[in-house]
Amino acid sequence: MNYFPDEVVEHVFDFVTSHKDRNSISLVCKSWFKIERYSRQNVFIGNCYSINPERLLRRFPCFKSLTLKGKPHFADFNLVPHGWGGFVQPWIEALARSRVGLEELRLKRMVVTDESLELLSRSFVNFKSLVLVSCEGFSTDGLASIASNCRHLRDLDLQENEIDDHRGQWLSCFPEAYTSLVTLNFACLEGETNLVALERLVARSPNLRSLKLNRAVPLDALARLMACAPQIVDLGVGSYEDEQDSESCLKLQAAIRKCTSLRSLSGFLEAAPHCLSAFHPVCHNLTYLNLSYAAEINGSHLIRLIEHCKKLQRLWILDSIGDKGLEVVASTCKELQELRVFPTDLQGGGNTAVTEDGLVAISAGCPKLHSILYFCQQMTNAALITVAKNCPNFIRFRLCILEPHKPDHVTSQPLDEGFGAIVQACKNLKRLSVSGLLTDQVFLYIGMFATQLEMLSIAFAGDTDKGMLYVLNGCKKMRKLEIRDSPFGDTALLADVNKYVTMRSLWMSSCEVTLGGCKRLAQKAPWLNVEIINENDNNRMEENGYEGRQKVDKMYLYRTVVGTRVDAPPFVWIL
Amino acid sequence: MEKGGLELEITELRLGLPGTEKMMKKRGFTEMIMTSSGSNSNQCESGVVSSGCDVEKANESPVAKSQVVGWPPVCSYRRKNSCKEVSTTRVGLGYVKVSMDGVPYLRKMDLGSSQGYDDLAFALDKLFGFHGIGVALKDGDNCEYVTIYEDKDGDWMLAGDVPWGMFIESCKRLRIMKRSDAAGFGLQPRGVDE
Repeated sequence: MNYFPDEVVEHVFDFVTSHKDRNSISLVCKSWFKIERYSRQNVFIGNCYSINPERLLRRFPCFKSLTLKGKPHFADFNLVPHGWGGFVQPWIEALARSRVGLEELRLKRMVVTDESLELLSRSFVNFKSLVLVSCEGFSTDGLASIASNCRHLRDLDLQENEIDDHRGQWLSCFPEAYTSLVTLNFACLEGETNLVALERLVARSPNLRSLKLNRAVPLDALARLMACAPQIVDLGVGSYEDEQDSESCLKLQAAIRKCTSLRSLSGFLEAAPHCLSAFHPVCHNLTYLNLSYAAEINGSHLIRLIEHCKKLQRLWILDSIGDKGLEVVASTCKELQELRVFPTDLQGGGNTAVTEDGLVAISAGCPKLHSILYFCQQMTNAALITVAKNCPNFIRFRLCILEPHKPDHVTSQPLDEGFGAIVQACKNLKRLSVSGLLTDQVFLYIGMFATQLEMLSIAFAGDTDKGMLYVLNGCKKMRKLEIRDSPFGDTALLADVNKYVTMRSLWMSSCEVTLGGCKRLAQKAPWLNVEIINENDNNRMEENGYEGRQKVDKMYLYRTVVGTRVDAPPFVWIL
Repeated sequence: MEKGGLELEITELRLGLPGTEKMMKKRGFTEMIMTSSGSNSNQCESGVVSSGCDVEKANESPVAKSQVVGWPPVCSYRRKNSCKEVSTTRVGLGYVKVSMDGVPYLRKMDLGSSQGYDDLAFALDKLFGFHGIGVALKDGDNCEYVTIYEDKDGDWMLAGDVPWGMFIESCKRLRIMKRSDAAGFGLQPRGVDE
C-alpha cells in the first residue's frame, strides 16, 4: 500500500465507513493515520467529556458529521440531577470558529439552548441534518432559527426531547423557496401547531420521506397532509382523535390508499380505535410499527391491525396486547427482528397483561428475532431456558420484571439459571439487562459466557463483590456498565483499575461503594474522571467533613483524555 | 433454624443462603425509598446498615414500592405520556377529554379537581380562554354554547342536570358545542330518568 499515492489510499478508505474499522485503520502506520484523519467524514463521540472540541479539530480537521452523547443512560430514569452537564454550546462555538463544513449534527442526552441552535444555524452554510434525541434546554424559538437560516436543511428530527413550546410560528419560518425537506419529526412538541404553515411546507416538499406529527394535528389535517405527500415512507400520526366525524375518516382512507411507499407507522398518542382500520390497506408493506404510546387502543384492535402486518421487522407495543396478542404476533410476523413491549401500568398494580408465556411464544414463532425489550410482572427459569433454545441469535436482550427481587414465580428460585441459559446460547449478545431475584451466580455465568457483551444493566441484583468481579474479569468487550441498588463495593471497584481503560464508563448508584474507595481509584487512575453526584447537599462533600467510610450515593466514572471538566455543577464532585 | 437473640431477624428480608451474615448489609426495599427521597437524617444511609434498621422499614407499607426513583426503567418522556393515558381509563376520576367546536385539538382536565358545576365552569373558561362556557353551564338557554358530556352508557347529556357527585361518576368526556349545532344532535331531553 505504500507504493500507492495518498489519493488512491484515501479512495480505498472511503469504502470503510464504520467507526471501529476506521479507528483500526488509523493504527496501522503513520502514513495511514495521516490519510485517515484528513479523510474522516463522520466522527462519533460516545461521551462528550472524553475529549474536547479543540482536540477533536486537531485530529479530524475535515469532518462533516458529528455525533455527540452527553448524559449517562440512567439519566433517562431521572437518576441524574438537572444541571449535571452535557452542554453542546462549547462544541458549536468551537466548530463555528474553525473551518469545518459541518453538515450533520446528532446529539443524544445533551443540553441544547436556543443560543446554540441559533449559532448552529448561522455558522454552517451547508448544514443539512439535525437529529436531537432526549435533549433539553431549548424552545421552539431555537427551531425557528434553524428553519429560517438553514437553506439546505434536509432533516429536522426531534425524538423525545423536552422542548419549551412557545406556540410560536416556527413552521412558518421555513422560507417559501425552501423545498428540500426530507425528514420532519416534531412529535414531542406539546403545543399548538400552525396547521396552515405545516400543510404548505409539506405541499412544497417533494422529497419528504419521513413526517412525524405532534398531538395537535387532528385527523382531518392528517388526511390533507397525506394527500399532499403520498410518497411518504415513515409516518407519525399525531392525535388520531376522531370527533364523530366520519367524513375525515373517509378522506383519510382515500389518502392512505395512495401511500404505497409507507413502511413505517408510529404515534397514535390519542387514538380512536375505529379509525385504525383506515390503515389496514397499507399494513402488508409495513416494516416498523410503533404503537407504544397508544394506550387507548385495546388489545383486540391492536391484534386486528397486526394481523395484516406480515412483513413487520420492528414492533413497539404496550403490554395491553397480552399474551394472546403476542401469540398472534408470533404467528403473523415471521420477519420480526426487534420487539419492545412497554408497561401500561407503571405503578405495578398487578395487571398481568403479559407473562413469560408471551415471551416464549414470540421466541418460538419469530426465527429472525435478535433484539428484545420486555417489561412483565413475572418470569420463570424454564421460560428463559426455552427462549434461549429457540433464539440463539439475540444481540440485545433486555428483560425488566417490574417488581425488584422477584423470583421465579413457580419455583421461587432466583432467575440465575434462566439468564445463564440466555448468555450461554446467545454467542453474539452485545447488550443485556437483567432483573428479578438474582444472586452472584448469574454474574458468574455472564462473566464466563457473555464474551461479546458490551453493555450491561444491573438493578437490585447480586450478593457480594464477587458478582461484579465476575463481570469485570470475564467480559473482555465490556464498554458500558451501569449498576443500581446492588451490594457491590470498593473491593470490586478497585480490583482491576486498568479495566476502565477499555470501558467507556461505569455508573454505580445506591451500591456499597465508599468515598474512600472512589478517592483511591481516582488516585490510581488519573486518566479517569471519577464523579460523585450528591444532590442532597449543594456543598461539596469534603467541606461537610464526610469520611472515607461514607457510602457514595451516585458514582459515574469515565475515561477521558482531557482531565477534569470545568462545567461541573456544585453537586458534582470530581475526585 | 434456631435464631437466638434478635427475634426480628426472622422477619428480615434476605437474598443469600441462611447463615451468610454478610447479607445483612443489603438494603431493604423500603429503605431505599427513604434514601432516594433525600432525607439527610436517615441513619441507615451513612456507614453500616444495621439489621434492626432494615426490619423496621420492612414492616412499612408495601405501597411505598412504587415510589422508588427511576423504577421501572421507563424513560421520563414515555412516563409523561403514559401517565395521562392511565388516568383517562378511570371513569369519574382523573382526567377526561374536553373538546370545543372550532378548536382543532382536545384538552384534558381533571374533573376531580373541581368542587362543583361553578368550579367546572371556571375551569373550562380557563382551559379554552373563552369566557362564555361558564355562562352556558349556568344560564342554559341564553348563550352561544352548550356543554354536553358523554356518560357511561355512551349517551350525550346536557351538563348541569344531575347532582355533581352523580355527574363526575358518569362523565367520560366533555364537549362544548355550538348551540346552533345542538338542535339535530340527539341529546337526551331534560327530565328523563338517569
